[in-house]
Amino acid sequence: MSDKKRVSRRQFLNYTLTGVGGFMAAGMLAPMVRFAIDPVLTKKESGDFVSVASVDEITNEPQRFEWTIDQVDAWYESEVQKTAWVYRNENDEIVALSPICTHLGCTVDWASNEEYPNEFFCPCHGGRYKKNGENIPGTPPTAPLPHFEFKVEEGMLYLGEAKDTGGGV
Amino acid sequence: MRWTKADTTQYLPEKQYIDTVLIPLIPFDPSSDQHMVKQAFQRELNQVFTNLIEKQYTGRIFLAPEYYYISETNQEETTRVNTWVEKFKQQPFEHVFLFTFDSKWKKFEHDLAGHLLWVPGMGSGDIQSTETQSFVREQAHQISELIQAYW
Repeated sequence: MSDKKRVSRRQFLNYTLTGVGGFMAAGMLAPMVRFAIDPVLTKKESGDFVSVASVDEITNEPQRFEWTIDQVDAWYESEVQKTAWVYRNENDEIVALSPICTHLGCTVDWASNEEYPNEFFCPCHGGRYKKNGENIPGTPPTAPLPHFEFKVEEGMLYLGEAKDTGGGV
Repeated sequence: MRWTKADTTQYLPEKQYIDTVLIPLIPFDPSSDQHMVKQAFQRELNQVFTNLIEKQYTGRIFLAPEYYYISETNQEETTRVNTWVEKFKQQPFEHVFLFTFDSKWKKFEHDLAGHLLWVPGMGSGDIQSTETQSFVREQAHQISELIQAYW
């Protein structure tokens, strides 16, 4: 009846091959394109680092710096205040220590006890740490204070995660 | 330490180190339009305070669940507060502090089995403002020193 509307065998095969070929080509190209533009899609890694202080502020004496991060714990999203003790050591390297006592999690203070003017002191159970964060044997803590990962960019100090250095005394 | 699964699990084996408990006493009266805002604000303030103190002394202070009561019923509540205190002392917690902004407790201080920490709070204000924050920090610092004096 209407032969014009009928699809011939040749046409049918052509359509099918183009279709399948197109899918295959797309399947091969998509990952390549994805790789090519990948750097644009990834979040900046510095998102994990927070600018805390200007490098000029850091002295040889440990100073307390505070900043806040958004923390998501399963149910709650909350702003958490973080603190670090930051100073330059004898080799002019920056040291950023976590103030959380490795014993039971109190907050340690620098030189808060008159008897130990050059140590970190934990008010809860008298835990003590040397200036480099190493715990002093004979006091309750069994591990040194964790060090913050840090980087310096354009004169600002950025702090990341606190990492256990291990090797307690 | 707090009344949470994680903290209580940590508390049990380390009992001998955690000898202080802080119970927030928070009054409220849901029938009173006049006091509602103020009481809600003081509850928030109380939580900020106790959280701050707990955070600093996590390893020695246990923050109890908040003790709520209908305001102006302090005399009748004394017995119930004391039950809480006794129960905590059985743990054994050596020092029990009752933290409140409700000045009515001052009158019944001698009947309370724990140390009353009454702090004149703020009637109103903005919990987020820097003014409130510095007030809270300063006060919390002094309260910590007071608690330390008992250790």
